[in-house]
Amino acid sequence: MAISGSQSSLREANRALIVDTIKRYGGLTQVELVAATGLSPATISTIVKELLGGGIVDTQNTTRSGRRAQMVTLARRVGLVAGVQFGHRHLKVALGDFGRTIVAEQQMPLPVDHRSDTGLDRAALLVVELLESVGAPIEELLTIGLAVPAPVDVSTGEISVHGIMRGWDGQQLGQVMSERLARPVVVDNDANVAALAEHELGAARGFQDVVYVRASYSTGAGIILNGHLHRGFAGTAGEIGHVQVDPSGSICRCGNRGCLDTVVSSTALLDLLRGSHGDLTLRDLVAKGIAGDLGCRRVLADAGDRIGSVVAMLAGTLNPQLVVVGGELAAAGELVVGPLRQAVLRHIAPNTVAPLQVVAGELGEEAEVTGALLLALRSTEVATDYETISTTPEGSDGTAAAEDLSLTRRTEGDLT
Amino acid sequence: MTTARPTPALSLRGIDKSFGAVKALSSIDLDIHSGEVVALVGDNAAGKSTIAKVIAGVITPDAGIIESDGVPVTIPTPTSAHALGITTVFQELALAENLDIVSNLYLGRELHKGNLLLESEMEDVARQILRDLRIRVPSVRTLVADLSGGQRQAVAIARTLLGKPRIVILDEPTASLSVSSTAEVLTLIERLRDLGHGVVLISHNMGDVRAVADRIEVLRHGRNNGSFAARTVSYEDIIAAITGAVDFSTRR
Repeated sequence: MAISGSQSSLREANRALIVDTIKRYGGLTQVELVAATGLSPATISTIVKELLGGGIVDTQNTTRSGRRAQMVTLARRVGLVAGVQFGHRHLKVALGDFGRTIVAEQQMPLPVDHRSDTGLDRAALLVVELLESVGAPIEELLTIGLAVPAPVDVSTGEISVHGIMRGWDGQQLGQVMSERLARPVVVDNDANVAALAEHELGAARGFQDVVYVRASYSTGAGIILNGHLHRGFAGTAGEIGHVQVDPSGSICRCGNRGCLDTVVSSTALLDLLRGSHGDLTLRDLVAKGIAGDLGCRRVLADAGDRIGSVVAMLAGTLNPQLVVVGGELAAAGELVVGPLRQAVLRHIAPNTVAPLQVVAGELGEEAEVTGALLLALRSTEVATDYETISTTPEGSDGTAAAEDLSLTRRTEGDLT
Repeated sequence: MTTARPTPALSLRGIDKSFGAVKALSSIDLDIHSGEVVALVGDNAAGKSTIAKVIAGVITPDAGIIESDGVPVTIPTPTSAHALGITTVFQELALAENLDIVSNLYLGRELHKGNLLLESEMEDVARQILRDLRIRVPSVRTLVADLSGGQRQAVAIARTLLGKPRIVILDEPTASLSVSSTAEVLTLIERLRDLGHGVVLISHNMGDVRAVADRIEVLRHGRNNGSFAARTVSYEDIIAAITGAVDFSTRR
């Protein structure tokens, strides 16, 4: 085979581009691949054939605008990734494939101030048991994405502000987890990965600048700037839970005084109701609010208002087009999101060209674990290497002509 | 703990029980509210299962008062417990492996019209209960033999819900289960609570207990040794109460 060096490296670059694009979007038709990559239809068709021959991608027939088309996805045997979300009171584990389909999922309640050793052990066992449940050997697992409710220095996988997550500080969580499963583990903040998920698959699709607010047992935010997640230098960007709202307020877990979290954390909210309603859980608060309990509604509304006034500062600084509200409190819908929206809009300069929108998330309680999966997918390197792929398309798949893409193997010259 | 609290669904006061010379329960107090998970923890032979059997009507106490919704009652037999809306899932689940889920749910109380079994009605109710509890099984016609440990436990719990109980007693529901099955059962306990049932959870696993319980009652040598709110109590405090390192036995 006499392929010139430059041509073969160009081809390799195009192949990598196509695989990356499929990885990013899950499944794309060849026509959509053309639009997403800017490559010519003929090149796409050729490379998809090669990738198919090499077992890197799968194609299946689908329809787009009433026409037959071929959906290209990464072949399932390329592997699976796992998403693990630790919340304050639960653990969620999901397995996903490169078509961004969750193939198995399990949730487990956790105690208050659960510990990292027990938690990571259980998460690792859950991953293994879920792999068994879908009949996949452990070898199929490529990467694990881990999300925790505290700011994370992603380069070390360590929690960067101590005291927020008791019993989890000072450990390289990715390292600890990867020792248990012998797979690479990427760690990030839960609001960050949820932002990623809403941006790619949920309410923030198509928006470039987005703030995702996670109103939960504690409060945090994930920031998307110009389409990219902005974590800050060691992961503390968007830590709105630790912005001071009351200089004479209570001391916070982080050591500062009067943080937003001392006012709207689950502990603070449930304390407000103890005298009138007895001992409630955050789930009770949301459920009773939805059922019409006035006291609970008031607590939810005031929480939305307080969070909104802090989000306004973030929005004033970053000028996002969209604020997405998620987390367990957002399950109360407009009871929380409404007052939050009003507070944000009341406190920022009204932008008449592009008025800021504040909406509830679309992924709900799946946002974090989906984001953890996306994180794992992104960090997974699929073999896009020239040598690993058979270069002779076998023509075994006779449906390629379904789209208006003529298969001309010799057109690669056009690209030089 | 008792702020703004309605009358307990079930209240036990000063329950005594001896087996010959062995005093199994000594002046035990226990309240169970609807929509609440009460965990009973303690060493072996602390009296956990005995108190469960008293509530379930399997054992009659020697002394003490039992009140259901504030009304004094006696629970001489399991049938009378059932009539009071109390139902128990014991460690040995008593499921029929060779039957499917629907048949197990209705075992011994099949719906029928004359000689005809109302299969589709039973199937509908079964499906509804499994859906309410978000129990994931392949189909309601799956044989119990083909289910995982967690799914079996879930079916056993679902069976108790046919009688629309107020109180569900679970004796060691997560013992010898895999992590994913444990996850399933714990999620189910949360669900029972959210549906408004009072749940008594007997367990050895402090992690599981602290994950789902609202209140933790420690028993030691047949006596109360502390009542804790699960949201504030630490693992160490519970262990101290169980082992007797700290004496919490003074009356509340």
